[in-house]
Amino acid sequence: MIEGLLNLLFFPGMAFQVICALSFEWLDRKLLALFQRRVGPPWYQPLADMIKLFSKEDLLPKGVNDRVAGLLPIVSLASVLTAGLYIPVAGFSPSAFEGDLIVILFLMSVPTLAYYLAGILSIGIYSVLGGGRSLLQYFSYEVPFLIALSGPAIMAGSWSIEGIIRSQYLLGPFIIYQPLGFILAIVGLIGKLKRDPLDIPSASSEVVGGSLTEYTGTKLALWHLAMNVQAVVGIFLLINLFLGWTKLANPIVAVIVFVFECLILAAVLSATSAVFARLRIDQLAGMGWRILVPLALAQLAMIILMGV
Amino acid sequence: MDEMMVETLCLKLESQLDCACEYYTGIQNDTTLVIPPDRIADVIMLLDEDMNGIHLSTITAQQRENHPDEIEVMYHFYLKFGFSLLTSIPCKDPKLPSIVSIIPGADFYEREVAEMFGVEFIGRSETPRLLLPEDWDQGPPFVKNEVKDG
Amino acid sequence: MAKISIPIGPQHPLLKEPLSMKVDISGEKVYGASLRLGYVHRGIERLAQQRNYVQNVHLIERICGICSHIHTTTYCHAVESLLKIEVPLRAHYLRALMCELERIHSHLLWLGILAKHVGLETIFMYTWHDRELALDIMEEITGGRVLHAANQIGGVRFDLDKDHIAMIHRTVDKLHNKLDRLLDVIENEPTLIARTRGVAPVSTELIKKYCVVGPVARASNVDVDMRRDNPLPPYDQLSFSVVTFQEGDALARTRVRAYEIRESIYLCEQILEDIPDGPVSTRVPRKVPEGEVIIRSEAPRGELFYYVRSDGTDKPARLKIRTPTLAALCLLPVQMSEIQVADIPVVLAGVDLCVACADR
Repeated sequence: MIEGLLNLLFFPGMAFQVICALSFEWLDRKLLALFQRRVGPPWYQPLADMIKLFSKEDLLPKGVNDRVAGLLPIVSLASVLTAGLYIPVAGFSPSAFEGDLIVILFLMSVPTLAYYLAGILSIGIYSVLGGGRSLLQYFSYEVPFLIALSGPAIMAGSWSIEGIIRSQYLLGPFIIYQPLGFILAIVGLIGKLKRDPLDIPSASSEVVGGSLTEYTGTKLALWHLAMNVQAVVGIFLLINLFLGWTKLANPIVAVIVFVFECLILAAVLSATSAVFARLRIDQLAGMGWRILVPLALAQLAMIILMGV
Repeated sequence: MDEMMVETLCLKLESQLDCACEYYTGIQNDTTLVIPPDRIADVIMLLDEDMNGIHLSTITAQQRENHPDEIEVMYHFYLKFGFSLLTSIPCKDPKLPSIVSIIPGADFYEREVAEMFGVEFIGRSETPRLLLPEDWDQGPPFVKNEVKDG
Repeated sequence: MAKISIPIGPQHPLLKEPLSMKVDISGEKVYGASLRLGYVHRGIERLAQQRNYVQNVHLIERICGICSHIHTTTYCHAVESLLKIEVPLRAHYLRALMCELERIHSHLLWLGILAKHVGLETIFMYTWHDRELALDIMEEITGGRVLHAANQIGGVRFDLDKDHIAMIHRTVDKLHNKLDRLLDVIENEPTLIARTRGVAPVSTELIKKYCVVGPVARASNVDVDMRRDNPLPPYDQLSFSVVTFQEGDALARTRVRAYEIRESIYLCEQILEDIPDGPVSTRVPRKVPEGEVIIRSEAPRGELFYYVRSDGTDKPARLKIRTPTLAALCLLPVQMSEIQVADIPVVLAGVDLCVACADR
């Protein structure tokens, strides 16, 4: 019981994930700055931003239901933190159970729904536009994302991440067998996190701030935290499913390898956001259904054939 | 070459439109014809058809010190050389035909002349303000006897 | 889906200067737009009638920050024509050097803004970094990055010595290399091309009917450039090519401006080679004789038109300015039909707004 509470609050629960989220935000901003030939923020910048946002006035337009608007970021944060509880970190997974991959994927979709509701609730024109776009985007990337992520599950014969990791320990990292699936999973993750080039719902030059245009203060700080925790959870998930052979004999080596892999994936995410321009929503829908879904299905077919 | 073109134009105006045209030589770098105000739209339409599209640079309005009760309006074109049409309308009844149906690009210039000098352009559905705020109630700013000179 | 009207401006991340546009959209499709100017209207033409010709040089420089030099150059040419004085050739060359540097910095600024609007912030950072090279030259020779106070009636107020010329050669070479990399991105970066190709194409007839000038017209195959067609000295002695493209879409407008930067760099090098020795200004009388003059020149955004009338005193009787942005704004509501909401930033960027110029 005490151990459960410690897991929940510290590792791999709240405190650990929040620290990882703030570190990821710093890493992302620093790498982006280096790509753009700038200096970038110091290490404490994300923490300072969060504390400053907590101290700002909390305003919403007249007619917006204050309580529901405040509940939405809390629900987003809660769902991604819960998803993070079940993801093994460097092989250490205290709460694994069969089928936890499906629960995690479901929990990670909750913030998208909350983002959409936040946009509609905020009444302002830009918020409604941003909210609508986020759902449109969801329908374009989620299907190839799910198909790509079910590849490792099918190859391992288990819907628990722990089972997938054990299978990789025997067979080798799944990225060797499903490189296409890995790339599609990264593209899906970029869409889910609403990062450049898929930050269409919050494209500042078109819809000012998207769903979060009207949010300020503590609520905005919680939204940002939820998005960063979602990024961290997504990275951990991808690393475990495709490069998750860290249940090695030596736990120190396991931790080092895991951290290294996560940093590489974070760098890949920063690099794509620096190099590409934002896509239009119709270009994303076209790409999603005409290119990504067929590729994902082809990858799935290859896995099934390999298993047979 | 410009003189020949302008002479041919003058002849055409006199023959086709029965419109007198005289030269005004006051402006450097420019060939200017003086046209009566009610014929301006016809002349511009003829020019537009003749040259298959003319480029209107802008429409200038001003009041000269020696004719304080007249507003002078100039249409400036560029056809490989600077060419202008000059016309005068009385201050008390400033009306001109609108050329927006011939040259849609004249829209903004006519609106500016309308709000700065109080000129009414006939043939436009509406002439909304371009630069002055909606609640400007001190009259056309450039007309000398209406606004106090600052 | 219901039609709603979204306001763009007066404050919006898209606009560097205030402008009010109401865009009618339904879902992701745009149906039309209406425009309202006047948020930065300072009444320059009226103010100019109350100041003498020398004070007006400084007033006119402040019409716009990005194209301040071409405004004063055109005004000084106009007044010098009225005064019937001969300005030394060296002054003309120095004015042209500053004009071309201004064109380079204006187009680089614009390129960064376009990249930022389509989400490619990296290019925004890189072009604005390279733009600093042009601004450094301007600061070195005139003392100002944005407002130079370089022109006076009768000539210019700065001169170049051997060190300056060597520094300008070095910096222009650096700019040339950076420009090659930028051109490579514009021609080859797939996401940038996907966002700009085929967006809001404008036909040549529409350009002619709306009397649009500058790079927007040149992108639709209208071959007009005041530096070649109506050259002020020294452009009659310099050789350069006018960049035109056929397609008339946003990609063509991007390429026109990018290649014009290269032409401006060639012009800078020619100016530095050919610049004659001599004085840089002459004395001018205070009172300007009666007369009227029209001067047209090529600002970074297109044809700039000045009409100056003098009544024999030391204050102008009428000053009329038509800036190229005003001509381009006429076309904006027409361009805003049949595009998508995501194309609004691309279309707005293609116009290269300088609202302070349009409002005066």
